[in-house]
Amino acid sequence: MSAGGAFGGNRGLRPVPPEKGVFPLDHMHQCDLEKKDYLHCLKSSGHQSENCRNFCKKYLECRMEKNLMARQDMSELGFGKETETNRKTSK
Amino acid sequence: MSLSRLARRNNLLSYFGIHVLTFKPRSIADHTRTGYSLLGSLCGCQPNSVSSALGLLPSCSYSTWLHKIHFQIAPTSISSQKSGPILAQRYYASRASANDTQASSQEQKSRKMLIYLTALVFAMVGGSYAAVPLYRRFCQATGYGGTVQRRESVEDKIARHSKDGTVTTREIAVQFNADVADGMPWKFTPTQREVRVKPGESALAFYTAENRSSTPITGVSTYNVTPMKAAVYFNKIQCFCFEEQRLLPGEQIDMPVFFYIDPEFETDPRMEGINNIILSYTFFKVAEE
Repeated sequence: MSAGGAFGGNRGLRPVPPEKGVFPLDHMHQCDLEKKDYLHCLKSSGHQSENCRNFCKKYLECRMEKNLMARQDMSELGFGKETETNRKTSK
Repeated sequence: MSLSRLARRNNLLSYFGIHVLTFKPRSIADHTRTGYSLLGSLCGCQPNSVSSALGLLPSCSYSTWLHKIHFQIAPTSISSQKSGPILAQRYYASRASANDTQASSQEQKSRKMLIYLTALVFAMVGGSYAAVPLYRRFCQATGYGGTVQRRESVEDKIARHSKDGTVTTREIAVQFNADVADGMPWKFTPTQREVRVKPGESALAFYTAENRSSTPITGVSTYNVTPMKAAVYFNKIQCFCFEEQRLLPGEQIDMPVFFYIDPEFETDPRMEGINNIILSYTFFKVAEE
C-alpha cells in the first residue's frame, strides 16, 4: 500500500492554492505592532502556537480592519471557544 | 509449387558455391580492379591482356559464369517447373470441391477476427483516453495514493471538527524554509524558525522579504510541503503564494501564512512517525522594471 502510494505520489501532488486566496501585502506596515507582539510571544513561549493564539487573533482582526483581509467570523477560522478552553487548561 | 521453388534454389546455391571458392581476390587493390573489370565485362567483356597477365582471369570468368547461370538455370528451372505445377495441380484438384465451402467459411472466420481485432484496437485507444477521468474518480472514491477524499473547504472542516469536539494531542513542529531563485536580488527568510502546533489548530507564520536591488521587482512564489504524504493534511487558509508580489527597491515586507493541519492527521496510521513538517517557499522573478 505504501509502495503503491509512493508511485506518482510526488508527481501527483500539485501545490494547492490557499483556501481563501492570497493575503494582500501590508506595504504600509499597518499591522506591524500586532505582528511583533505575536512573534515575541512565540519566541518566549518556545514556539508554541496555542499560547499565542490571542495575538494571532489580534493580528487577523487588525488585517480585517485595514482591509487587508476578507471579513470573517473568528470562530470560522478556528478561534472560538477553543481559545477559552486553552486558557483554562494552561492556567 | 513450393517444391519447384526449392529445386531452383538448390541449383543456384550449387553454382554460387563453386564459383565463390575459385574467386578470391587477395587485396584491396584486387577488389577495385575486379570491380572495374566487372563493369567492363558487363558492358562487353573485353579482357585486357595486361589485366589477364596480372592474374585477373577470374573477372572474365565471372561474367561467363553469369552467362552460365542464365543458360543452365533455364533448363533446370523448366524441368522443375514442370514437376512443380503438376504436383500442385493434383493437390488443388483433389481439394477443389471442399475448397469453396472452406474458403467461404475461412473468409468468414477471418472477417470476424478482423472485426474483433479492430474493435479491440478502438477499445484500447478509447480506454486510454477515458483513463484520466476514471482514475481520478477512482482515487477520490478510495483515497488511494493520498488523494484528498472530501472536497471540503477548510472552514467547513474547522466547523465540523469543533462540532465533533475532536481533541488532538500530538504536537507537530512546523519548520520553515525560504528560497530564492537564481538571479533574484531579494532576501527572503522565515521570520520564525518553527511553530509548534497541534492538528486542528490554525496557526500563523511570517516570512520576511526584502528587495535589495535598485529597481522594483515583481516576484511570484510557490510552496512545497515535506514529507510528501503529510502534505495532504496541510491546509493553507491564506498565504502569499501564486500571486505576483511587487516590492519597491529597498522595501522590506512581512508575508503571513495562515495554515491549519487537519485533525485526521492523528488517526492516519501512515503518519505514525511524523512529528516534523517542513514548509518551503521559493520566490521566482517575474518582471523587473
